[in-house]
Amino acid sequence: MAADKTIKQSATKSTTSSAWSRRNFLKGVGVAAVASDAVLDRVKHVTAADAPPDANARNQVLAGPIKITLNVNGQERPVTVEPRTTLLSALRDRLEPPVTGPKLVCDAATCGACTVLLDGKPVFGCSVLAIDAVGKKVTTVEGLGTPDHMNPVQAAFCEKDGMMCGFCTSGFVTTISALLQSNPNPTEQQVREACKGNFCRCGTYPHVFEAALSAAKAAK
Amino acid sequence: MAKKKIKVPKVVNGVPQGEVEIEVDDTAGPTWGPNDKHRLLNKPMKRVDGPAKTTGAAIYTQDVRPPGMLQGKFLLSPHAHAKITKLDLEPAQKLSGVKAVVAIVNVGGEVRYEGQPVAAIAAETVEAANDAARAIAVEYEELPHAVTAEDALKPNAPAVAQGRGQGRQQKQGNAEQTQAALASCDAVVEAEYRTPILHHSCLETHSIVADFRGGDEATVYASTQGTFTIPKDAARELGLDQSKVTSVVQHMGGGFGSKFGIGIAGQWACRLAKQLGTPVKMALTRRDEFLAAGNGPGSIQKFKAGANKDGTLVAVHAVQHTMSGIGNSNVAGQPYQYKAQHAYREAAPVNTNEDGSVALRAPGHPQASFAMESLMDELAYKLGLDPVEFRKKNLKDPAWHRQLDAGAKAIGWENRNKTPGGGAGPLKRGMGCGVGAWGGGGNAQCVVDVTVAQDGSVTAAVGSQDLGTGTRTYIRAIVAEELGLEIDDIVEKIGNSKLGNANASGGSTTTASLAPAVKDAAYNARTEMAKRVAPLLGAQPEAVVFDGRKVLGNGKSLDWKQACAALPAGGLSARGQWKPGLSASGVHGASFAEVEVDVETGHVRVTKMCHVQDCGLPLNRKALESQINGGMIQSMGMALYEGRVMDPELGVMLNPGFGDYKLPGCLEIPQLIPIIDDGDERQAVIGMAEGANVPGVGAVANAVYNACGVRVRQLPITPDKILNGLLQLQQQRG
Repeated sequence: MAADKTIKQSATKSTTSSAWSRRNFLKGVGVAAVASDAVLDRVKHVTAADAPPDANARNQVLAGPIKITLNVNGQERPVTVEPRTTLLSALRDRLEPPVTGPKLVCDAATCGACTVLLDGKPVFGCSVLAIDAVGKKVTTVEGLGTPDHMNPVQAAFCEKDGMMCGFCTSGFVTTISALLQSNPNPTEQQVREACKGNFCRCGTYPHVFEAALSAAKAAK
Repeated sequence: MAKKKIKVPKVVNGVPQGEVEIEVDDTAGPTWGPNDKHRLLNKPMKRVDGPAKTTGAAIYTQDVRPPGMLQGKFLLSPHAHAKITKLDLEPAQKLSGVKAVVAIVNVGGEVRYEGQPVAAIAAETVEAANDAARAIAVEYEELPHAVTAEDALKPNAPAVAQGRGQGRQQKQGNAEQTQAALASCDAVVEAEYRTPILHHSCLETHSIVADFRGGDEATVYASTQGTFTIPKDAARELGLDQSKVTSVVQHMGGGFGSKFGIGIAGQWACRLAKQLGTPVKMALTRRDEFLAAGNGPGSIQKFKAGANKDGTLVAVHAVQHTMSGIGNSNVAGQPYQYKAQHAYREAAPVNTNEDGSVALRAPGHPQASFAMESLMDELAYKLGLDPVEFRKKNLKDPAWHRQLDAGAKAIGWENRNKTPGGGAGPLKRGMGCGVGAWGGGGNAQCVVDVTVAQDGSVTAAVGSQDLGTGTRTYIRAIVAEELGLEIDDIVEKIGNSKLGNANASGGSTTTASLAPAVKDAAYNARTEMAKRVAPLLGAQPEAVVFDGRKVLGNGKSLDWKQACAALPAGGLSARGQWKPGLSASGVHGASFAEVEVDVETGHVRVTKMCHVQDCGLPLNRKALESQINGGMIQSMGMALYEGRVMDPELGVMLNPGFGDYKLPGCLEIPQLIPIIDDGDERQAVIGMAEGANVPGVGAVANAVYNACGVRVRQLPITPDKILNGLLQLQQQRG
């Protein structure tokens, strides 16, 4: 079975991968995404080497653990991932201690519970590879505020009861915090549009919309 | 002590099963007092766990990662019905990072639905667990299956559920008399209503972390609706004494009836942890959740019903089939909340090769309500009666009359479409309504401990769980109100099986069971505190008053902290239990919907919804409004969007993901008007969550008819059904 074979290779690789090299990393990128100049640009952030990348390395296959450093909520966080590891899984399953504000709900970019900010832009953490987040600023809901120092969106969610079970809340808070950065004075329709990738099953939507508009008002 | 016998609701795995008689102490105790005289309760309160939930600090089961924890994973059957002819686990077992691969169904064994777990895996990483699932070599011999009611009801259908299936028919009423009464009715409607299998779609999938590292103790973190439904079964799987297993449920990401007991995820988390001597997390994937975590049953309900011109519902003859996969669920009986002079109902399950149904928010009620409310509407229009007035004529309880009037006013009922389908232009507006009811009574299971420390800090502890209903918040508020303190002065400890017992959250019985026990504990703490402080004030204990963070009496006052300094080093503890007078049973609700139907595209948009709900004493008006909104949104989802879609030939589910199983989202939410029915003056707590998602389904379907003249009798009301209905109307008109 193909998967079997690939993994056996990876097992062998993994014995050497603790001493992860730039070359192996590039191979990893090759399997994760067709290596483009943009991807290679990002790699520079972790390689420290400034020599031009080896063109032959681009199209080779690598699976197995690699070490990268993610900038999460302003901290440099070294973490071992696989090329296929999503940013969400890196945060939740691999970082030590983990960052669990973003939730795993669908793993398919359909629900928004895993929303994080990548250089300030909301993305589905389940649909971004961890290696593609290297060199970018990852902001999770934890980075937006703490229980003692909530940002205006978090405070408004508490005020308006914008949550019930709370499993979607991180995603909504993150999405709306980003919206208010780009549009400090949104209409309810603009809030709805911004959050259309976020699901809530308890049905808190009306209070979420109220919270967003109230946070915009409070931030003025 | 004198005892008295009372009746309390019995709920098993979220499904109400009548009442049982219990014996309780016949003593005087705390009372709530008038509903409008509370200082904190019956006011809008901020959720106390809001800051934790909005900042990611709240820890859910899926967020727990004890040292050395392995990731669990299931391999699911791809077939609806098959025999396993080959199962080679070795390729998976040999993979790096894979610690265990265990067969759940062995060679020669049968799988009876797509999604039935075949093997369980534990690996160091999620990726390795996924690789292992792919590496297992398994071969199946496919066997005949039935995944639709049509196929299951064929005479030569494959036997899905031996010993159950068609055998368990229920019959109530007199069929002959009911049929005979139809003959003299002014209007008779014959109709068949269908609802599909639904999915709970809890955002946190069924998840359990079994933290066992050898030895004789374990902690089991569970996403569950019942802290105390976990330890016994987990202990059995782990081979430990129940007293050595602690279950923890700090926060949980939605249950809606699907999360009782350890389930198959917990069973295998525990078994693998035991085998490996290290913690194992078993969290279902979203696809697993759709295929194997239970569902809400579908229904086919056939009616013959008749009414007279004066609005009297004369006869209702109903045949109800419940589609609950390999499970055994029932749809609530007909004529649901209405009184008919003659009623006959027969019901039977239809089993299919699908995962078995479990409780889903108000089990079997939205299905029954949709059918009955549609039927009532059809009769009302046939007789030329106002659907609201026709309902009132056949509903005895004045609560519904009050609520229908309030809802009609809020939605603007007089502006409904005078002629269904009438009005100019392609966008047709219409309105519909429905009523519902629920039990929501309390029972005697909760044990709450309130402790007051010498420094004045107050803790209220009980093992109960907060599903997002606001349990933590009202625990604090009840204690704070009783002791003259503020919400932030109290710390609540919940979600741990080492704390006082509590019932599982099923049948909306949590609040009515827990709030009285909290009240009783706080009352006992206050009484005890008064005894201790009275001598300091020179007052009689019964004359001591607690207010504004002060303890007052005999014209003197002490700060709360000063008063507490008089307590012994260990502070003061008081225990509370459920008291019958503090809760009641039976809530009512009425829903109204306004929709806009585009007769060119068949698209339906709900523009406004209103739901009026009573619940005795509302504890937290803000959380209550959230619950009512949630009920409306879920009923709208059932009416317009949701439903499991099966491929009859392949026997597989076609939409096991949020991309294809459509839920209401940000762009579909209408203007929502939640109305708390303060006309209910019962000074008692009653659960209402399941009352709020029942009548909205019929209200939306009836609004669609009022808007465009198409009666859609099969949910969800998708554009194709509207367009087909419009075509039929055109053909009928010639």
